[in-house]
Amino acid sequence: MNWNLNTEQYYVRFAHEEDIENIYSLLGTKGVVKHHPKSPMVVEAQAMDEARRMVMQFEAKEAAFWLVEEKATGKVIARIRLQKFNWVSASAQLVLDAFPDSKTPAQIAEIVYAVLTLGYEDLSLHRIEWLLQSTDTRTVELANTFGFQHEGQLNSVVEFDGKWIDYQVYSMLNNDDNWQSAIKNQGFPKA
Amino acid sequence: MKFVANVDFSGGKLRPLDKSDVDTIIKLYQKQTLAGQSEAASKEHAERLIELSVQMAATQRGLMWAIEVDGQMAGMLSLYDWQPTSLKTLMRLDALPNLDQQKQVDALRSGVDYLAHKYHLRNFSFQCLPEGEEAIIDVIKLAGFEQSARLRDFRRTSQTEFSDILVFNMILTESVEGEQ
Repeated sequence: MNWNLNTEQYYVRFAHEEDIENIYSLLGTKGVVKHHPKSPMVVEAQAMDEARRMVMQFEAKEAAFWLVEEKATGKVIARIRLQKFNWVSASAQLVLDAFPDSKTPAQIAEIVYAVLTLGYEDLSLHRIEWLLQSTDTRTVELANTFGFQHEGQLNSVVEFDGKWIDYQVYSMLNNDDNWQSAIKNQGFPKA
Repeated sequence: MKFVANVDFSGGKLRPLDKSDVDTIIKLYQKQTLAGQSEAASKEHAERLIELSVQMAATQRGLMWAIEVDGQMAGMLSLYDWQPTSLKTLMRLDALPNLDQQKQVDALRSGVDYLAHKYHLRNFSFQCLPEGEEAIIDVIKLAGFEQSARLRDFRRTSQTEFSDILVFNMILTESVEGEQ
């Protein structure tokens, strides 16, 4: 199975040793991590540790991480992952870390479609959910645009910076009309 | 060492499971509503469940109480996915027909109060099937839980079929945390 994906504008690929700087640049940006919620990285050693964890979680079949490299510039603009694989219920969670200026529907639609295609077709997943904070309005808008369905709220999931964080639950099933339309159109709506 | 405490409630008590509970556990677990539960419980399953209840409590991964009324076990109140650092847990309630609704509510409230004060848990949730668990849903609503989400096809029920899951939740108020 080929885990590295090739879209029109991006290489959606696994990280390698030279990516420490890219990971640090991405996850050291407050606008990228604030809705997860996490503090931005402050030293490059954290990116090295993160890279190790990405490998370990993949080897344990718990998660798969891809960096998104723009073909035209070589710049890594995002990291996307499927995590919390549940092989019994055939489900996983989608997580996106992207530079704010790269979070446009046109850009993200291409990336999310590639990863969901792998999830449904190669990994035989049935349900992919996306947990988002309501304050992350731009990503909520993306989820709605792509046709993810809002299912409700998970309350007080984690504590961060003295506050309990709620998550809005969005999901897409492999037999949802919106996913079937995406397959037919070879991509998500971009607006 | 005792990892599961006795907790009294009006008309009964929560207590640790013991070997004499095997027959009642088999009766309770005839309903196949647990994820991954593909067959009705047997004596071996029930004995394993009792052993597991001790291991889960010892490692704070979960906890299982027998609900006892008039000296007889009439149900179970259980914790799964107990996350001590996030102060939250997933719960499950099973009741035999002779355990009336009010006693189920009282047992659940007493369990929640105990867990809040002993372990500082503040976030309690249930995951229920939309069909077949109406009685339990009535009980947890009476105890103060509210539905927060309906997760589509969240639980696999056979090789090709899935069921939605209703998520019910109760977050204890800041004043309870303040008391601790």
